[in-house]
Amino acid sequence: MRIAVCAPQVPFIRGGAEIVGDDLVEELRKRGHEAELVTVPFKWYPSERVLTQAFLWRLLDLEEADGAPIDLLIATKFPSYAVRHPNKVVWLLHQFRQAYELDRTDLGQFDESPEQRALRREVHRLDRLSLGEAKRLFAISQNVADRLESSTGLVAEVLPPPPQELPYRCDEYGDFVLSVGRIDRAKRVELLLEALAADSSLRCVIAGEGPDRERLERLARARGLDGRARFAGRVSEEELADLYARCLAVYYAPVDEDFGLVPYEAFLAEKPVVTTTDAGGPLEVVRDHTTGLVVEPTPAALAEACAWLAGHLDSAREWGRAGKIEAERISWDHTVERLLA
Amino acid sequence: MKVAYYSPLPPERSGIADYSALLLPALARRIEVAVARRGSRRAPRGTDLALYHVGNDPEHHWWIVEALRKRPGVVVLHDFVLHHLVAGMTLGRNEGAGYLDAMQREAGAVGRMLAHGVIDGLLPPVWEHRAHEFPLTGEVLPFASGVIVHSRYAEKRVREHGYAGPVWRIPHPAWPAPMELPAAGLPSGHFVVGAFGHLNRAKRLPQLLEAFALLRERVPKALLLLVGPLAPGFEPELQEGVIHHGYVDEQRLSSLLAATDVSVSLRYPTMGETSGVVVRALGLGRPLVVSDVGWFADLPDEVAVKVPVGDDEVEVLADTLEGLVRDPARRQAMGTAARTLAEGEHELERVAEAYTAALEEAAGGEAIRDVLTAEVAAAAAETGLRTGGEALGEIAERLREVGRGR
Repeated sequence: MRIAVCAPQVPFIRGGAEIVGDDLVEELRKRGHEAELVTVPFKWYPSERVLTQAFLWRLLDLEEADGAPIDLLIATKFPSYAVRHPNKVVWLLHQFRQAYELDRTDLGQFDESPEQRALRREVHRLDRLSLGEAKRLFAISQNVADRLESSTGLVAEVLPPPPQELPYRCDEYGDFVLSVGRIDRAKRVELLLEALAADSSLRCVIAGEGPDRERLERLARARGLDGRARFAGRVSEEELADLYARCLAVYYAPVDEDFGLVPYEAFLAEKPVVTTTDAGGPLEVVRDHTTGLVVEPTPAALAEACAWLAGHLDSAREWGRAGKIEAERISWDHTVERLLA
Repeated sequence: MKVAYYSPLPPERSGIADYSALLLPALARRIEVAVARRGSRRAPRGTDLALYHVGNDPEHHWWIVEALRKRPGVVVLHDFVLHHLVAGMTLGRNEGAGYLDAMQREAGAVGRMLAHGVIDGLLPPVWEHRAHEFPLTGEVLPFASGVIVHSRYAEKRVREHGYAGPVWRIPHPAWPAPMELPAAGLPSGHFVVGAFGHLNRAKRLPQLLEAFALLRERVPKALLLLVGPLAPGFEPELQEGVIHHGYVDEQRLSSLLAATDVSVSLRYPTMGETSGVVVRALGLGRPLVVSDVGWFADLPDEVAVKVPVGDDEVEVLADTLEGLVRDPARRQAMGTAARTLAEGEHELERVAEAYTAALEEAAGGEAIRDVLTAEVAAAAAETGLRTGGEALGEIAERLREVGRGR
């Protein structure tokens, strides 16, 4: 089958969504399909731009390529699902969150002017139309499916993406908590730094790049965390596997996250995950005192949880292994089978 | 966003007043609402948009239409047919010329001649029997920057009337089911058929009374409960087994409605309205029998049996009621489906959210209408694409698909 996987790209930025897109194409090819990733750059500001950038997708003709039909189109996140295709399947990573649950929060984008409010509603309208056209709808987590249903009334089957392939292993339960992911405000790395400031016995390694890194480095210096908080920047797959192998636990607590591959990666390295009660998607797999710790989103609560794990390595090991069993259940065989069903 | 809100409100005795009393608190939790005082000619200060609740009763709505004509805004069209309203605002003020002009705008020379006939006493008033043929909705729609309707039926009529602006279909909100209701005080052991609201010919009361008489012959334990004021000059003979209450307050209305085994809401002709009584009955899980017209015909078959208007109406109605008497399982299923519907698309918070979306789209819609087309047009001009060419034709088609075409 000829399959086009559609995903927007933000030039120079790479995160979980990009990994999912690449992996899907690779897994489809492994199974004998002719698969290609189709991307268009996406710039979402100023707010007026959201509509025109989405409309670019609408103008694409992906019914065939070089004279041969494209049998199936799998669109992933906003605005790639605005594309037209007679056999459009959407595997929803997320909608344009600034127009939904992030609206009127620090992470929102639309102000209170009538024009901006109306623009936000335009995004809703476009979603209802373009997602409503899909032959089948999947969402990467229950959290994303719930948001979709409450905002558009559309129902999606939950289909989590398997984590990226790394040489996962567990060497030890070391002396640092690991944070993995793009460093922006929504990922809430700041909370981890504040936890370190609250408990001088804690150490962390922050792997990843992003627009919030400079600010966080300044914050770490201001809190006197030099030496205890290390910003590792973008790391290779081997380095990442090594960090997972050696850490005590993995911290992952974005605000109302869509899904989050990081907990699954942590589990595959047999590490427990520390998250917060408002983290959204991760709460579907991180269960308190079963596969990790779920705490209030405060520095004191997070510091206490990390320190507790450092003093209870048996629990850390037990919960990490319980997580591994859960993570191993998610396979590309199942995911591809459902997407092509 | 701040919205000027024009509507009749309690203690005015109007279904739309009750509607607004229900909706306003939920809406005010989402947007700033400035409620206009009845009769006020000035819009509340500092508002971005005005919302006008328009119904067919001139007594409750004249001042709202006058305000709308001064400052266009979003119109909630509770009735599609506004003949009675327009007649009241013209003939009711001895302004025959206004009525003549409205009828002419509606139906040309024929409309004007008909209006002359009415004014001169040569023809019966149009609003009594033929209002649905001359809805006079055109007296309001040109001032609407957007229209909110409650039903597919009304939406279709608005479009057929040539209205090209935005139309939002927002279901009538359901009243939250009361925790506990006082006893209705009806005789026990009877099968109670209820009919609620203003009681007049358009509610098919003569047909209902006739059908009830047939039912009573077959089911002697049947009772007909009529609740609501009788229309002036309408004095039907109420036979044995018929109980009539005039106007009752909200709580009493709920008690009586909850005590019915079947709630009957017949209508013809329809003014394109939604029935607050039917929505209340849904919330209380009552099985419904309705006329197969307008909004009533849009109700799902699971909650309402629809009786066609026409020659067999009385017989079909009697058979339907008898069928429901003898099938408690069906009544039970209909009641459950009714509750589900009320708690679904008619749920108050969902309706308030839909209002907020519509108002936000209306308030800023004009300013952003051309955001997309302007940028596409600029890009086309820069690259030398010409109007009428194939490439622009395709772009226009895609724009239409996303609702931005012209």
